[in-house]
Amino acid sequence: MSYANITGRLLRRNISTGQLLGYALANLVGLAIVMCAIQFYRDVRSSFDTDSDAFINRDYLVLSPQVSSLGTVTGAQSGFTPEMISELEAQPWTRRVGRFSNAEFNVSASIDFGGRGMSTFLFFESIPDEFFDVRPSGWRFDPEHPEIPIIVSKDYLALYNFGFASSRGLPQLSEGVINKVPLNISLAGNGRMATYPGRIVGFSSRFNTIAVPESFMTWANSNFGDSAKAGANPSRLIVEVENPGAPEVRQFIESHGYEVAGDKENSSRAGYFLTVVTGIVITVGAVISLLAFFILVLSLALLLQKNRRKLSDLMLLGYSPQSVARAYFPIISWINGAVYIVAATLTGVGAWLWEERLESASVGATSLWPTLLVGFAIIAAITLLGYMSILGRVRRYFRP
Amino acid sequence: MKRLLPDVFRGAENDPPVSRSQVWLHNLELSRGDEYLIAAESGTGKTSLCSFIYGVRTDYQGDILFDGENIRSFDTARWCHIRRRHLAWLPQEMRLFPELSVMDNILIKNRLTDCCTEAEIRRMLEHLEVENKADTLAAYLSVGQQQRVAVIRALVQPFDFIILDEPVSHLDARNNAAVAALVTESASAREASVIATSVGNHLALNNPKIIHL
Repeated sequence: MSYANITGRLLRRNISTGQLLGYALANLVGLAIVMCAIQFYRDVRSSFDTDSDAFINRDYLVLSPQVSSLGTVTGAQSGFTPEMISELEAQPWTRRVGRFSNAEFNVSASIDFGGRGMSTFLFFESIPDEFFDVRPSGWRFDPEHPEIPIIVSKDYLALYNFGFASSRGLPQLSEGVINKVPLNISLAGNGRMATYPGRIVGFSSRFNTIAVPESFMTWANSNFGDSAKAGANPSRLIVEVENPGAPEVRQFIESHGYEVAGDKENSSRAGYFLTVVTGIVITVGAVISLLAFFILVLSLALLLQKNRRKLSDLMLLGYSPQSVARAYFPIISWINGAVYIVAATLTGVGAWLWEERLESASVGATSLWPTLLVGFAIIAAITLLGYMSILGRVRRYFRP
Repeated sequence: MKRLLPDVFRGAENDPPVSRSQVWLHNLELSRGDEYLIAAESGTGKTSLCSFIYGVRTDYQGDILFDGENIRSFDTARWCHIRRRHLAWLPQEMRLFPELSVMDNILIKNRLTDCCTEAEIRRMLEHLEVENKADTLAAYLSVGQQQRVAVIRALVQPFDFIILDEPVSHLDARNNAAVAALVTESASAREASVIATSVGNHLALNNPKIIHL
């Protein structure tokens, strides 16, 4: 029999099973709530994250002023005035604002398929480079050797491949194939006309447009642009925001009558509410866990108080505070270990139960591991704090 | 010890028992290898003196030095080491754990110091005639039996000094002699010093230096 067993037997007398059971139950409830909330959040959030590939992802909003019927009739330009832009920039939730620049000239593109040509009118827009989700090689423009790199929306390719090509029996095109197709771009305006080679260098899922580098746009507008239109207000803005679903963002957009491109705003809002609700649930769970931790500390403090005489006798025999405190560590470790295992099991079962319902809403499950890891970190922190509380108390008793 | 005085005697420096004491407010040196008997009437601060030396209490003025080092500066870890390796103590009230058996009460100290085998402990129990109580809970022992068990517990460690606070107050002459023989034997094996206090029933040491408190 080791002395640890003797001291253990000595010091673990007077343990209140009821108190410790109360702690275990309370902590189990708290931890299970926290872990379930995290897992649920992750599962549901994953469906929003897959949407991040869409027109609006989590951080970007593309805004345009509402086009009125009157504007259509009169042909009046509806753009963002400098005042409107600076007001937008001043909002606390705005990280940065980028302006879409329009081409002030006519653009047409033609493709040569072994003698059979195909030509179409186009439009160009440019956006500051830092707002792009893709950085393809060749995304630069040199006026000395003008070749026009173009980024188009992924949606266009999808529209062609799955809408047009499949219904007409035409071959579907991959991004790689399209990148290799040489284009002839004709620019006309300001009494001039010129043709330059062009190439589609990348596909963006953030912008629903045909984009060219800003440097090209500046150069082309100065050469081919209609000077009367030069410096017109940008018709679209890209805004990087903290959380596009936040109510203040929505309120601002509504009160100014702006339109958000695409209809993903709702998913952002749902994401925002999910974040808020999960936050509340996790807080409730954390508060329960915290209270449970206080029960544990209180229960152990009472136990140590009851054993105070024994503790000081052990000290007189030469026992160190650490070796005495160690007699209590297994209690905490076993209880917390059991609490963690049960809470993890509950989370697993919970995830399995809601998975079926979520699957019908085409939301896939995510891995349990990160949640288990967070739960483990919480229980490890509680265990460590428990140890420290015991050691601190025993040390105090040991002082002469 | 340098001009030691318990706080309770402060202001009564010129009155007995302080005025008659050979310890309080005197410089006193206890050397390893010698035997000391601190004889005193009750209420003169015997147990206080033992507690001061063992580092349990600090309510005194003056200084206690171990090898020239003031014990007030020792931290908990240092005291734990000293109590395992250098200083043994039998408190007057024995402080056995009533919920543990006699053997466990001794083992709880011995496992810390790894000083004696279980057979050696049984021999000591036999020598003090409590061998048949080895598995009895300490709560069921008479005070005399408790005193003998506590003596053994104090001996199962290496020490330079062993402080025995009234070790034989509840023992007859025969048991007193047995305890004294065991203590002396253990102390001389370690070249250690015995410091025993007594209010009347002196531990039967061979040739102790008697100090009046």
